Amino acid sequence: MEFYSLSGSRLGLRGIPPLLASLMRQIPLLFEQDWSVAEERLFPSPSHAPHEQTLREDWKAHVEPELHASFLSARQVVEADLRGFQESEGNYTLEFPVAHAESWLNALNQARLCLAAQHHLEEAELSQLGPIAIVSEKDLARLQIHFYAALQQWLVEVVDTA
Amino acid sequence: MGKVKEVPESGTRSESSLEIPWNVVVHNDPVNLMVYVTMIFRKVFGFSREKAESHMLEVHHKGRSIVWSGTRERAEFYVEQLHSHLLLATIEHGES
Repeated sequence: MEFYSLSGSRLGLRGIPPLLASLMRQIPLLFEQDWSVAEERLFPSPSHAPHEQTLREDWKAHVEPELHASFLSARQVVEADLRGFQESEGNYTLEFPVAHAESWLNALNQARLCLAAQHHLEEAELSQLGPIAIVSEKDLARLQIHFYAALQQWLVEVVDTA
Repeated sequence: MGKVKEVPESGTRSESSLEIPWNVVVHNDPVNLMVYVTMIFRKVFGFSREKAESHMLEVHHKGRSIVWSGTRERAEFYVEQLHSHLLLATIEHGES
């Protein structure tokens, strides 16, 4: 699989194997399943202090709806971009505008946090190096998280040097 | 990334809420990438790469870093910005 940039205006990945293309298509779909387990992580409290109950209530009423809308917007951008998959000789190519990089970063982060929460993946498991033998849904989630991290790493480089 | 709206002041703040400093604290989590956290610190606070990396490493090694201190209203604004990028951040009074 190869990452590339087209005249600074579009980003692309080519030679995407079918399994990884399938994992990419799941980025926005993860939130069609029950992701309530990840809600606490996606919408954390702004304060742990016992006397800040009013702040927490205000946050839930005013800030969380804004965050919900912002996260949904990022996922919708990615979902639309994912419709552009092109198949060639058994592998896939995907291109999208550079301007969508931040939405991709955000949606990938949502997906990684959601998967980690759904599968109770802790730091030690996420830090394990080496090949991942897929014998359970948790292993697949770990692979998915690492693959999405690789995409994020590439996108951070793109955004940071823009 | 959707734009983030500033939180309106709600009701009357207690005297202590007006006393500065209020700290914006970022907490470690196992999922966010180090390069991503560094990028967000630069974007939200306008830090140099060196300063952003220093705070990121403090979060990574010590579990938390105070990334900004000042007024309560501004601290809440920054926490919201950090939450919009899915970082774990809280507001704390400087004396707590």
